[in-house]
Amino acid sequence: MRASKAVASFDSATGMLRALSRFLAGRDVPALGQVPAAFELPLSGLLGGLNRLPVAVQERAYAASGWAEAIPQRRVGEVRSEALAAWVTGHYPRRRYPVIFIGSSNGALIHLAAALDAAWLPQTLLLPVRRRGVAPDDPVGDLAAVEGAGRALLAANPDLVLHHMHDPNQDRLMIAGMTYFRVKWRRLPEAYRRFIHDHLAPGGLVVGVDCTLRWPTTRIDDRYVFQFGALGDATPDEYRQGGPRVADLLARYGAPVRRWHPPAADGESPEAEWGLEPALLDDIRAFAGQHRIDLDLLRFDTPQRLSPAVADLYRSWYADRGLPTGRLLVESFLLLEPWWALRTGSVPYWTVFGTETFRAGLETYLNATDPYDEIRILLFNHGTDSIGLAGAQDWRRTAARARKIGVLTGVDGAVYPRDFAGFVRSHRELSQIRTRYPMPLPLNAASAAAALAARGGIGWHSAK
Amino acid sequence: MVCVHGAGVSSREFQPFLEVLGRRHDAWTVDLPGFGPSGGPRRPLGMRALADALAEWLTAVGLDQAVLLGGSFGCQVAVDAAVRHPHRIAGLVLVGPTVDPAARSFIRQLLRWMRNAPHERASMAPLNLADYRDAGARRVVGAFTESLRDRIEDKLPHVLLPTLVVRGAQDRLVPQGWAEEVTRLLPAGRLAVVEGSGHMVPYRQPHALAGLVTEFLADEFAAAGDEDEAGPQEQRSAR
Repeated sequence: MRASKAVASFDSATGMLRALSRFLAGRDVPALGQVPAAFELPLSGLLGGLNRLPVAVQERAYAASGWAEAIPQRRVGEVRSEALAAWVTGHYPRRRYPVIFIGSSNGALIHLAAALDAAWLPQTLLLPVRRRGVAPDDPVGDLAAVEGAGRALLAANPDLVLHHMHDPNQDRLMIAGMTYFRVKWRRLPEAYRRFIHDHLAPGGLVVGVDCTLRWPTTRIDDRYVFQFGALGDATPDEYRQGGPRVADLLARYGAPVRRWHPPAADGESPEAEWGLEPALLDDIRAFAGQHRIDLDLLRFDTPQRLSPAVADLYRSWYADRGLPTGRLLVESFLLLEPWWALRTGSVPYWTVFGTETFRAGLETYLNATDPYDEIRILLFNHGTDSIGLAGAQDWRRTAARARKIGVLTGVDGAVYPRDFAGFVRSHRELSQIRTRYPMPLPLNAASAAAALAARGGIGWHSAK
Repeated sequence: MVCVHGAGVSSREFQPFLEVLGRRHDAWTVDLPGFGPSGGPRRPLGMRALADALAEWLTAVGLDQAVLLGGSFGCQVAVDAAVRHPHRIAGLVLVGPTVDPAARSFIRQLLRWMRNAPHERASMAPLNLADYRDAGARRVVGAFTESLRDRIEDKLPHVLLPTLVVRGAQDRLVPQGWAEEVTRLLPAGRLAVVEGSGHMVPYRQPHALAGLVTEFLADEFAAAGDEDEAGPQEQRSAR
């Protein structure tokens, strides 16, 4: 099975890989990098038309778009880990890179990589798998329905760990007709080894990216865990024991239950989407030692931790270049624009999702830093009024902290979080910012490492 | 607060807005020389002359420290007045500031105007036609020509007064990029976007605009606002 068919195009890892590889090729990211820029205007109009449909129809269309991307269960065993790794490395322009990151997905890391002219090889990819006849609020049924496919995948790929993920809060539309298989490499795949060998500049640096976030899981097999719920506003306890916010969500979506009954957790594992499976680090260490490559480790406890650090790094970088430092670009999930960030002299601040927790994180950052003249906020539309989601009005209030221009970019507040055209519109509106700056030369990795390591909660040190 | 109308039209376009704002503030609207019922010389006046007439009128009626609210071409007049007569003016509100230098030609402006038309209220058309009739073809064309000739972007950096820039979210004459550029060029500018409106925000969304203006006046002129509240509330509309 072709890797490009197996991997989800709507996932964080895929979106980040696309954004960074396009940046390194000198390109921006129109319509999430999935269609040529020329189609942007008609596509925006077409998707804008979808916004006028009734909510139930929109939700069905959203779910169907996910289903259409998923692979049939019987073909899961045909997925090959090597093909996935080669698909990843195939994104990058063929040239030498001074730094190559390997590991956790992270939007702020993508901007760090862009600043350093670095590539990033993800540890985790999402394989969406079709399944029928299981309600989103039935985790036990989901596990029973696809466990066989999970075992077939692992039997064919001894270097993968499977995190079968089920989140009826944030992904409830998507998981109506499919299931999320997140795979993690526990060994450095051959394509990654070859990429480092061929594309790391002489004297270059490999950096393992280790987000240590963990989540309660149920162990199914040696390399197979089931994760119920995921990082967002709802806590692991709310996912497992229920509560008023869970009951409210289920009532709003007309579910027959008022709490979930997932399989009992028997331990914790690296979080499926963001956390690093540490076995990979041992293999990277051995590989680096064998080829005398400098290896560093960038470690942080939660994905949001890097965002203020990278924002400040950009801000001081702009100041060093003699540019204004008053423009902030707040990004959301896989809506990333490393090219436009630099082109418009914007300081990038990445948020994981559009929930209150991550809005509060942004507010904390704004409280601690010099005021911004301009604040633009992108909002990713995930289709669901999930627990703790901050509305467009809430985000608008945060944007209004700008001294001059505080706007939501590409957001139709009336239909958020079901704004189909938002994926396209955000890029179009960013490209209409008129003040622009020349692209800079890359930052030096050692000074970036020193700046990041000086912050609490982030470690960057040699891994030898 | 003194409202300054757009090219070829008159104070009529501000009537719905003044009815709302006049309840809270001392609000005026003027007819520039030659427009609406106001008399003027046979030859259309240029930008400087229009702005000077506005400043002289402020002196004549004894309005000190007025806040000027321009609509469209009225923004250009207000900015010109603010740059050359700053002692008479306390602040600016620029609603749909023209002209975007990226489309500085008669044809481009006409195309944008046509794209904007579906976002305006139909009831405004007869008002505009009456205004064009009052002003006469020569003055209407003269105002549009002056609007294209005037480079507002060169003056904005010299406006040191607190300024609120307002744009209708569906305004096709003033795209978001230009509205942001206007705000950026102003040393003390701030941008607000009004949902559900094309170019003519005062006519389309008078309540939303009055809310923004009230907030702006309270933020920037808190002391003056207190005095207003102490005095009698009265709407005076001057022609």
